[in-house]
Amino acid sequence: MLDELAAIVGDDGVVSRATELKVYECDGWTVEKSAPEVLVMPRNTKQVSAVLKALHRRAIAFVARGAGTGLSGGALPIDAPVMVCTSRMNRILAIDLANRRIEVQSGVVNLHVTNAVRSRGFFYAPDPSSQVACTIGGNIAENSGGPHTLKYGVTTNHVLGLELVLPDGEVVELGGAAEERCGYDLVGAVVGAEGTTGIVTRATLRLLREPESRRTILAAFPDVDFATRAVSAIIASGVIPGAIEMMDRLIIRAVEEAFHVGLPADAGAVLIVEFDGYAAGLDERASAAVEIARRYGAADSRLARNEAERALLWKARKRAFGAVGRLAPNYATQDGVVPRTHLPQILREISAVSERYGLAIGNVFHAGDGNIHPIILYDERHPEQVQSAIEAGRDILRACLAMGGSLTGEHGIGAEKMGEMPLLFSPDDLLAMAELRRVFDPGERANPNKIIPRPGACVEVAAPHRQVPV
Amino acid sequence: MTSGEAAETRVEREELRQQIERLLGAGRAREPIAPEAAACELVVEPESTDEIAELVRKCETDRLTLAPLGFARTLSQIRTSRVALGVSLARMRRIIAYEPDDMTVVTEAGVTLGELNRLCFEHRQRLPVDPREPDRTTVGAMVGASHAGPTRLSEGTVRDLLIGVAFVGHGGRLARAGGRVVKNVAGYDLMKVMTGSFGTLGIVVEAAFKVRPIPENYTLAVRRFGRDSEAFEAAVAIHDALAMVHLEVLSPGPSAALGYDYDWVVMAGFAGNRAELDYQRAKTIEALGSGTDILEGASAEASFASLRDMDFPADGLVAQIAVKPAELARCARECSGEYRVHAGSGVAQVWFEEIGEGTAEQTVTRWREMARRAGGNLRVLRAPETTRAEIEFFDRPSAGAFGLMKRLKQTFDPANIFNPGCFVGGL
Ligand SMILES: Cc1cc2nc3c(=O)[nH]c(=O)nc-3n(C[C@H](O)[C@H](O)[C@H](O)COP(=O)(O)OP(=O)(O)OC[C@H]3O[C@@H](n4cnc5c(N)ncnc54)[C@H](O)[C@@H]3O)c2cc1C
Repeated sequence: MLDELAAIVGDDGVVSRATELKVYECDGWTVEKSAPEVLVMPRNTKQVSAVLKALHRRAIAFVARGAGTGLSGGALPIDAPVMVCTSRMNRILAIDLANRRIEVQSGVVNLHVTNAVRSRGFFYAPDPSSQVACTIGGNIAENSGGPHTLKYGVTTNHVLGLELVLPDGEVVELGGAAEERCGYDLVGAVVGAEGTTGIVTRATLRLLREPESRRTILAAFPDVDFATRAVSAIIASGVIPGAIEMMDRLIIRAVEEAFHVGLPADAGAVLIVEFDGYAAGLDERASAAVEIARRYGAADSRLARNEAERALLWKARKRAFGAVGRLAPNYATQDGVVPRTHLPQILREISAVSERYGLAIGNVFHAGDGNIHPIILYDERHPEQVQSAIEAGRDILRACLAMGGSLTGEHGIGAEKMGEMPLLFSPDDLLAMAELRRVFDPGERANPNKIIPRPGACVEVAAPHRQVPV
Repeated sequence: MTSGEAAETRVEREELRQQIERLLGAGRAREPIAPEAAACELVVEPESTDEIAELVRKCETDRLTLAPLGFARTLSQIRTSRVALGVSLARMRRIIAYEPDDMTVVTEAGVTLGELNRLCFEHRQRLPVDPREPDRTTVGAMVGASHAGPTRLSEGTVRDLLIGVAFVGHGGRLARAGGRVVKNVAGYDLMKVMTGSFGTLGIVVEAAFKVRPIPENYTLAVRRFGRDSEAFEAAVAIHDALAMVHLEVLSPGPSAALGYDYDWVVMAGFAGNRAELDYQRAKTIEALGSGTDILEGASAEASFASLRDMDFPADGLVAQIAVKPAELARCARECSGEYRVHAGSGVAQVWFEEIGEGTAEQTVTRWREMARRAGGNLRVLRAPETTRAEIEFFDRPSAGAFGLMKRLKQTFDPANIFNPGCFVGGL
């Protein structure tokens, strides 16, 4: 089979040596590891189709991989011997500004989309913090969000058309360049399906006009409780800001040590609130938000004075995960969601969990959406800490569900949260979802063993086929 | 019951009515009234999800067809034959939860959009979907037919706002997806699958949405033009310069019906705080020219409502085209009928007031080919009854996509009982 794959993608497009495959043994969810047996790197749709046909003939399962920045083990091969990586499918195919559309191969890096059109006053709205690395294909699979999705929506709101290679190698066109679709919304079904419907090779994305201007506020609060109440109040005031992000004390400290942005070191929490739109009227919006922050206990609020200051604030926010890496050898990021008004409760719960397990937990998250990202610090050299980190994460997710929330706002279920799915959905719900998946993938060979737990399957982390680093 | 109806049909219908009443109790099945009568033989009014599940199981066993009904306005237009049971959601109209501070709402499918938005209005919020006549649009119908109106430009459509769904599918199975939070990627997105599925995959019984703040100080700019090209150029200029709440171009027929002269008219809505309003007003007038009327407050709202509720000719041929936005003006003109264009979104309704029996199909074909060349598609919204059988209402996707759709329909509706035969490609 290796020869056949090499004939399709070229010798340099196939990797099968174990030492080279080690890089691909996990994504950003590093708790579980398992390397593929073969890595294939096609350059175009035709090659993807030929590869999947070859696998189909042998009934071999596969997993797609973009940049491997996923945080739920989406690109972790579990009983999927072949990994298909889109890193060489990184061409922007067409830019159509008159229609505000762009067509890209799925391996294009998120930020490169905006970079291609920014000088002409446009941008691609979904902006995951990993946007310098993650791919459009990965974003589509996870239905990724980012700080500015509060106002602009997540990936699914910006994908109009897709080219999808089904697990049997058939190439299908879904959706298109128009706003309305013919028949069922299959684009909507594929976005967020975590690579279980086949491999996306091409996408038509919506572009937006760059806002004329922005005001970015940094507000410092005594603690997270005050900050989260301010979030609700700002949103209730009637205008949805471009973004509202929060960082707690632990994160502030880590970011400050890494980037020296001048975050107030004594603050218990900070909010980054951004308004964008017409230059006229923005000052009024910003000062109204500053006033609300003050009323809700902000000791200090300041406005980024220029683009450089704004960029620095966002750099700090978007690299916060990385900065945390300085505090502990390992960390696991959770992605629960609660109704926004429950943020104070869930943050209290998180600090209780932190105490219970004796693990430090930092919080940096999309507060406007109620989408929390507790970062649980641990050291994988101590097996009991790995186990505690996993359990702490689960406790937090359970608390989210108890508050009427969800297991994941943007990182996906992947391998990580499969075991929790029955807490959120009934067996019938899961059956309906499994049916949808089998419409695309009757043999369940595209990224098997993800999202939906097999009935009766073991939901323990250390399932026999997986290697937990101990 | 019409007198010309075959006695046989009448007997069958009476028999069915009795069966339903045995299943759900007396008074739960009734004769259809217009426009339901065009869509179904009998109307059932279940009171709960369990009752709907029983109906579905009965239909599967007895090979009876059924379709969910709101006010039956859409279904009565697109069905060429009647289903046995119209499942009315009229008794399922609870608003289950409205959380103004979280900006979410959960309702049963029989609630009307009008009702829902009157509730949200108390908190200066709304579900920003604006199909015609919100008091005659149920949540179920809005989701099922993916109804949308002018504000799609700024707020998106149902698919962008629906955060959770529950439906009764095959075997009477109740399935839920999504939830009640505004951001959620847990599990497959059945919300998207159900949106615009026209009741062919199951019966939506509950829906959760995110709601939005009502825009501040809604203002409407109206400008008449003597030529279509001027109107479209002005609309493009506004769309380039500003982020409008909505932006329509009307051809002379509908503009006269709204009380403007028999001219092309641009209706551009915007909103914001004082400074934003001043800025947009100036820019809008710059783009539209000095004859622009600016409406504010109640008169702006009233004009918007008449734009939203504008009816299409009852006996005409009406279609919706969706194309690349920059192609829309050309397409609307080439249709050579009347139109309401949602500039910027690439979507328009186009129509002929009257259409000869022999020419309806030809016209649809011509429009459809034009829409396809412009990167889009066409869906027929209404056609004279005599021409319906010859017309394909829904545009066909590519062969590969259609193959998946067939599989989806077979999987979700193995007995082929859910509103069969009138959706895309005869599904
Ligand atoms: C520092 C950091 C910050 C992050 N911030 C955010 C954030 O703000 N918001 C957010 O939503 N996420 C965030 N993430 C998570 C992650 O970046 C996103 O999930 C991203 O979309 C993954 O893209 P990727 O290219 O790395 O995909 P991978 O990790 O390679 O794959 C992710 C999933 O996509 C599938 N897949 C990949 N390509 C294809 C394809 N072409 N066709 C079909 N399936 C495919 C894979 O099988 C897998 O299931 C962050 C991650 C990190 C490490």
